Amino acid sequence: MPLSLINWRQVWVLYRRELRGALRERSIVVNSFLLPVFLYPVLLWLTFSAMVFVEGLSEGRVSRIVLLDLPAEHAELRDSLSAAQSVEVREDTVSVEQGVAWVLDGELDAVAEFLAPGPEAEALPDNFAVRISYDRAEERSRRASDRIESAVTGYRDRWLEREARDLRVSREQLEGFLIYRNNVATERQVGAFLLSLMVPLFVVIMVALGCFVPSIDTTAGERERSTWETLMSVSASRMSVVTSKYLYVATLGLAAGMLNVTAMVISIGAVLRPLAGELAEELQFRIPLLAVPVLLIGALALALFFAAAMMLLASFARKFKDGQAMITPVYWLALIPVFLSGTPELHLTPTLATVPIANVAVMMRDAINGRFDWLLIGESLLVQMVFVVLILWLARAVLRFEDYLLGSFDGSFWRFARQRLLARRSSDALPVE
Amino acid sequence: MTEPTVAVRGLAKTFYDEARGEVRAVDGIDFDCRPGEIFGLLGANGAGKTTTLRMLATILRPTAGVARLMGRDVVEEPVAARRTLGFYSATTALYPRLTARETLEFFARVNLYPEEKVDARVDYLVGRFGIAEYVGARVEKLSTGMKQKVSIARTVAHDPPILIFDEPTVGLDVINALEMARVIRELRDEGKTIIFSTHIMSEAEKLCDRIAIIHNGKILASDTLDALRVATGRHYLEDIFVDYVGGVEEMPGFIRESGSAAE
Repeated sequence: MPLSLINWRQVWVLYRRELRGALRERSIVVNSFLLPVFLYPVLLWLTFSAMVFVEGLSEGRVSRIVLLDLPAEHAELRDSLSAAQSVEVREDTVSVEQGVAWVLDGELDAVAEFLAPGPEAEALPDNFAVRISYDRAEERSRRASDRIESAVTGYRDRWLEREARDLRVSREQLEGFLIYRNNVATERQVGAFLLSLMVPLFVVIMVALGCFVPSIDTTAGERERSTWETLMSVSASRMSVVTSKYLYVATLGLAAGMLNVTAMVISIGAVLRPLAGELAEELQFRIPLLAVPVLLIGALALALFFAAAMMLLASFARKFKDGQAMITPVYWLALIPVFLSGTPELHLTPTLATVPIANVAVMMRDAINGRFDWLLIGESLLVQMVFVVLILWLARAVLRFEDYLLGSFDGSFWRFARQRLLARRSSDALPVE
Repeated sequence: MTEPTVAVRGLAKTFYDEARGEVRAVDGIDFDCRPGEIFGLLGANGAGKTTTLRMLATILRPTAGVARLMGRDVVEEPVAARRTLGFYSATTALYPRLTARETLEFFARVNLYPEEKVDARVDYLVGRFGIAEYVGARVEKLSTGMKQKVSIARTVAHDPPILIFDEPTVGLDVINALEMARVIRELRDEGKTIIFSTHIMSEAEKLCDRIAIIHNGKILASDTLDALRVATGRHYLEDIFVDYVGGVEEMPGFIRESGSAAE
């Protein structure tokens, strides 16, 4: 970009004018400021609250079950299940087939069928196996299955204790191959992991959304309001005008991204607490200090990218609505790499660093998890900036066409590229001012 | 005689139209304008008036010829040329979300009026154009007449020596059109060079010191109204105009005194 053509005093005046107008436009304020701050925290809170509510409803329902062929020596298991308020043990004498049919009809929630143990488990007297038949498509049935399993597991533990005592061995000797889980991650790391799953995705969405309306408003909006020719007649160079607009759109994109990160970090604890139960008290939703500049630079790189791409496309529209139609597919296309890179196991690699948007999203996720590979971070940012420069170069090429500048070209960017940039009529181009 | 502030020589503009091929909208025109003068470009719709003025405002780039504003070539020094110019047309709207004061401040600053004098200049314009009452209101809330005043004020916000008014009365009622004519005369009397385009004969007759009749991209005649009367032996500008362009049937956008378009 020929910087000598830019008068920064005029850029500042133009930039302030854009920003002042934007802050008085409801749709821009909503998209760039209110949504990033409130929408996703509120949306997450609503989602999780709804999940907890549904969970609660399901928890409150009594599970209707039948126990088939329960050995008499294990009658205690029936007693413990019957004693539970959340379980109703039906005394019906039915066949397994009949019980399963009732489960499918919704008249019953689960059938627990007690079987003789397999040959490998016969050595232990009174051992048994249980087959639980339930309808996985029904929450109530799943819940009944869980309750039976939990009751059987608890009963087995007590039974094993007793058996071990009778045999004069320790329970560990009887059971063998015990598994002890030891979570070595700190509460802060677990919190960061949860943040890393959500923050990069929302940052990309928010930066794109933050750029969306301003990029149309400052291009197609100018044409629709008939202020474009007014602007072309002021004594600022075209490059100064475009630079101010570009910086304005990128600023709002960046503001949306950073506001969203801040809102998410502040609110995520409150949002996730109802789901995490006891663990929530110990979780720390904080990100490493070093991740803050990485997030900031990542959001900036995304803002510069989205601002350039969206402005370039929207500038071919004559009306705001046309601009929306031109940008929307690109908005969704840009989100594809972010969703694809959402796998938690995926980390930044030299290959992934070459994929725009996805590279920055994964870079941010790694940083939140305390993983900083500066070489790959550098590569990601470099690749992202190469794409930004390519788009700006394209914008500069487009700016040289008079009918584009005046808004008399009737068509989209793609048509323009075919007819002018790639065809013989590129000789119509003017020197950039 | 004073030096011309606007000098145009052999100015031409060719467009490429997908349906019609190459269209020569302006075909090698010459004219000069001087300070304290209203120079009128009179022509039917599509005659080449707006294209000419857009080239002077550096919005369009000439295909051939030279145009200088205060000695600045519009092709070689477009930014410097624009600094000497205030451009007003029916298609140059105001920013609806700015107040009238913010609008004037913006146009003064972006046209590099000395920063330390911007406030005083805006105060002067507010007083001069009688917009004090609604100076704090957003443009989107103003009536057409109010917007027109703010629009003229923004055109002269940076005190340019040359002013272009491209069909400024289009869409205005009689009262506002008369007000516009009064302001243009005042600006002329202050020594501004004014280029004024119209297709309304009475407007050109009353307002312009010199009139150029433009048709099919060419200037057919350019002189004072009196000199044009002598040259054609006709009294009314409408007749003079028809004499030059060869009949109203050639002018689809021609407006008679009554304001009706000719067939």
